[in-house]
Amino acid sequence: MRKVTSVLLIVLLAAISLVSTGISYSQDKPFEGVNITVLTFDGPQIAEPLQRHAPEFQELTGAQVSVVTVPFADLYQIILTDQATGTYSYDAFVFAPQWMVDFANAGYLEDLTPYVEADADIQWDDIAPFFRNFSAMYNEKIYLIPLDGDFHMVYYRTDVLAEAGLEPPKTWDEYLVVAAALNGQDMNGDGEGDYGSCISKRRSAQAWQWFPSFASPFIQSLGTEQGAFFDTTTFEPLINNEGFVRALEIYKETGQYGPPDEETLDVGGTRTLFVAGRCALSLDWGDIGSLAVDPEQSIVQDKVGAVITPGSTEVIDRATGELVPCTPELCPYAVDGVNHAPVASFGGWSGGVSSGISQEKKDAAYAFFSYVAQPAQANVDVTIGKTGFNPYRISQFQDLTPWLAGGFSEKAANDYLGAIRDSLNNPNMVLDLRVPQNQRYQQVVTDPILSQFLAGEYTAEEAAQEISDQWEEITEEIGREDQLAAYIASLGIQK
Amino acid sequence: MIVSYILLLSWTFLVLFPVYWLFVTAFKLPIDVNTGPKYLMYVDFQPSDHAWREMFVASGDLVTRPYKNTAIVGFISAVLALILGSGASYALSRFTFRPKPGLVLAFVVCAVLVILMVNLEVPWQVAVAAGLGIFVLVTLTIGRRLKGSMTNDDIAFWLISQRMLPPVAVLVPIYILFQNFGLLNTYTALIVTYTAVNLPLAIWFTRDYFKSIPIELEESAFIDGASRYQVLYKIVLPLSAPGLVATFLIVLIFAWNEYTLGLFLSGADTQTMPMLVVGQNATRGPQWWNISVLVLVMIAPVVVLSIVLERFIARGILIGAVKG
Amino acid sequence: MEEPPSHLNDRSRYVLLLPAVLVVLFLSVFPLLLSIFTSLSKIRFVKGGFEIEYIGLKNYEKLLQGSGQRRFLGRFDDPTTFGWIILMVFIAVMIYWLFRYVTGPRRRLFGVLMRVITIIIAVELLWLVIRTSSGRGLPGTLVVTLIFVFGGVAAQYILGLFLALLVTQNLPGKRFFRVVFLLPMMITPVGIGFLFRMLTDTLIGPMAPMWKVAGLYNFSWVNDPATARLAVIIGDTWQWTPFVFIILLAALEGLPTETVEAALVDGANRQQMFRYILLPQIIPVSTTVILVRIIEAFKIIDMPNALTGGGPGIATESVTLHAYNLWRGIDLGTSSALAYCLLFVATFVALVFVNFIRQRLLESI
Repeated sequence: MRKVTSVLLIVLLAAISLVSTGISYSQDKPFEGVNITVLTFDGPQIAEPLQRHAPEFQELTGAQVSVVTVPFADLYQIILTDQATGTYSYDAFVFAPQWMVDFANAGYLEDLTPYVEADADIQWDDIAPFFRNFSAMYNEKIYLIPLDGDFHMVYYRTDVLAEAGLEPPKTWDEYLVVAAALNGQDMNGDGEGDYGSCISKRRSAQAWQWFPSFASPFIQSLGTEQGAFFDTTTFEPLINNEGFVRALEIYKETGQYGPPDEETLDVGGTRTLFVAGRCALSLDWGDIGSLAVDPEQSIVQDKVGAVITPGSTEVIDRATGELVPCTPELCPYAVDGVNHAPVASFGGWSGGVSSGISQEKKDAAYAFFSYVAQPAQANVDVTIGKTGFNPYRISQFQDLTPWLAGGFSEKAANDYLGAIRDSLNNPNMVLDLRVPQNQRYQQVVTDPILSQFLAGEYTAEEAAQEISDQWEEITEEIGREDQLAAYIASLGIQK
Repeated sequence: MIVSYILLLSWTFLVLFPVYWLFVTAFKLPIDVNTGPKYLMYVDFQPSDHAWREMFVASGDLVTRPYKNTAIVGFISAVLALILGSGASYALSRFTFRPKPGLVLAFVVCAVLVILMVNLEVPWQVAVAAGLGIFVLVTLTIGRRLKGSMTNDDIAFWLISQRMLPPVAVLVPIYILFQNFGLLNTYTALIVTYTAVNLPLAIWFTRDYFKSIPIELEESAFIDGASRYQVLYKIVLPLSAPGLVATFLIVLIFAWNEYTLGLFLSGADTQTMPMLVVGQNATRGPQWWNISVLVLVMIAPVVVLSIVLERFIARGILIGAVKG
Repeated sequence: MEEPPSHLNDRSRYVLLLPAVLVVLFLSVFPLLLSIFTSLSKIRFVKGGFEIEYIGLKNYEKLLQGSGQRRFLGRFDDPTTFGWIILMVFIAVMIYWLFRYVTGPRRRLFGVLMRVITIIIAVELLWLVIRTSSGRGLPGTLVVTLIFVFGGVAAQYILGLFLALLVTQNLPGKRFFRVVFLLPMMITPVGIGFLFRMLTDTLIGPMAPMWKVAGLYNFSWVNDPATARLAVIIGDTWQWTPFVFIILLAALEGLPTETVEAALVDGANRQQMFRYILLPQIIPVSTTVILVRIIEAFKIIDMPNALTGGGPGIATESVTLHAYNLWRGIDLGTSSALAYCLLFVATFVALVFVNFIRQRLLESI
């Protein structure tokens, strides 16, 4: 009898707890019945984690998230057309933060500052300072939730360099020396000569994104706020100077130690060459790190190291445009006399919310991005290669366990994370050019001229002059004051 | 004879080798693509179905949905283009039209009026009706006084000139147009667009075939008391079947493969296959294996269709049937 | 044009023609007008819409004379002697042609005017080509497009006609060839671009061993302007020869059997058969297919975009790709202006083809 009573009691308790959890569940679903559509590009990377987290998020909050993907090359125009015509087919976007200024200036993006302030779960302070203070913000307002961290690093073959007794390069000059020394050596054991340096220089691809990594160490030395593209008082382009010309020459010289079709390779091409063991050095985002450990693609597992992008021992004197040697005043952040300026190129895929939708949808869309960005989700996602997410949170460097689970050896993980940490902690990190219509400056003007320079149609001086002139023309057309204000706002400079 | 075969076979090789390359690439692991050319399955690399699994198994309806959309949009728009186009081209090859430039202008003005009205929140049905009404009124009143001098060839040239402007220039306007009608992300938008874009082609090709049909056949049918539509349906269309089939295949292929306009007019539910192919070239460079899978899957139905339709292009079959 | 008997002009003609015209009009009037306006404006994006500021012909001025000139038209240099000779010969031929027309029986003032304008534009275009291809000159996107159009269409037509004639012979297995030859056309243009990028890759493409044997191991043929353009034309030709092929094939197959039999009974020889039976059958369709290919080829974008990205330099950038790149930088005004410049050139070439060449060919049969 006692037994029966106790069983009954347990059943009763269980039933009550079930009911109560049931009740609390429905109370916990603040967005029941809300549908939001998130637009991003065809994955699987980036789209994959969003799609994977959508059902979990619905379970938690009741909001139904559908992820729509379009080809990467047309994502920007589709967002713009959708918002500019007031169609609002999409409620939120995951896009390249460089585009943020065009969208934010036109008022298409919701100011997320109050949302972030009211949200403890996102652990905003855990996001690395560069992404938190620069990448996510414009004009002192938060418009984006970082979901990914991106900047350039130089990858090298640890085995090949060790065998030749070479150190990974600290400056671009050293890079050239290493590349020249190793070019023509067999690095994958097939008896044929391989390449010293693989950098994709294809037009209409990533070439215009690499170039700031070459030029910035010569141009920016006083921290992110100094800016590497325009003068922050006159908005004159920082192009027609010795540093830029020197960078152009280095950029071209790397081609001598590279594969013959570098000018038609995109970054996918150099990555495949690198993981196929055909390159000693390569410039890339964080992706090689996770690709190199994938046995389906790579024959260089555990033979890959990464370092912060090479720097320079000289910087330009902004008054004269001439190169002068680094001094502690000129290069306060220099390491061993070398000024590094790692470029947060692309800046990491980030989520923004449309300003033209209902408050309920905005809340749901923000909550979704917050959910994906929270350490519980993000710290696992960044270790999985196919998500395309690279580290951007401080906590992501502290625990090696998920990295080892993701297939990294301890040494590879340390090397990889070390380079990322060096770059992220560098106060002289370069923020992408974020002024209105930045695509016109970089993709429309700079990209083809870089290619024409490589093809020998311009000398370095002519190329610098031409880019500079055309940038000035665009500035005049859009309005110098407006552009300057936007540039200053993007660099977070207090007036 | 032998020379002909050698020539034909060498072109066959030139055509088939790239397709073969797609086929083997679809079964390669990334590492087999990256580490230099590998030609033969099982000989210099082990085939893998990883790309097929990624496209069809791992990602749900990633491929099947756009595939269905492509089929629906492609076939309907190709049939519509062929029906409207052959009607129009028959009319252009048998009748004389003398449209008056003034009336054309009036029509343009009316069309602009309709669009303005729609923009001013007038329901589009009302706007179109009003526009048509005004146009008819203009035609009936002052239309007769205008002097006309345009010919059939002008109409035909105007039609084909619609294809001259690159799609980038008309993307935003067409987007706005369909947005005003509330038709974005619908099959209707894609079908109407593809039909309109392909109509000029259909008209031009069928016009030539119609012209080559002896007019005496038709005249004898008229003497027997047949109506215009009966003549078209029973004599002209069967006689020009090879041309119609060829034209159908071409407009189908154009609609099947169109990318730029489709991208902007479609949404999640109506995306078509070309967008998926383009999407395989994202931030990590082209995913050759996925592209190969998608292209093979895309051409399969068109290949089957052309095998089926090929017999209709064969000489004489239909002509014999008509005579019999 | 021959006047059909008036009793055939019944009401059905409108029922047949108007639906097609209305559908095309629906999708053309508004976009055409709006994009003309766009090409005369500067566009800014603001909340919930965009601001359009009318700036007159500035966008065109920029392309033709300002900073866009170098990319659109090219870099000029003085013509070489050879260039001068070509120009002189061309002008002489044109003047002779005009003279023939003026002294001919059918001259009309309007015709003379049209021909003079045609000659002026044609000479301008040739002058542009010569100046950008001699010495330190560099062809801009317009000249590159013209190269693609004329090179590609000529290759496609010759190959397509040749294949169609081969296949219409009564060879065993011809049905196999007919289907196989259509294959390239069925592949989506972007897909073909990617395919040719795989095929032309000197490191991992199927032809890599051949390059090695030829001693071209450290050379990439898509890096040189001339060979890169050739690669684009080869890809384009591979893709579009089937288009010419199927149209011409259908025309040849549509030839009534009795006509051929009658000719054979009358004892016609091969040449006569070709001249009096085949030629009249294929010329009208040929002119159409060439016209359509010219119009389509002016819009070439996917092949250079996927194959070379427009490089090296701007060596393979077509006008459409140029306009697309501008539009990606949301420079809608200049992009539309560029599209209209292309429209002008394409219309000019198409009109010349229709009015002078097509007309002449149709009369000759």
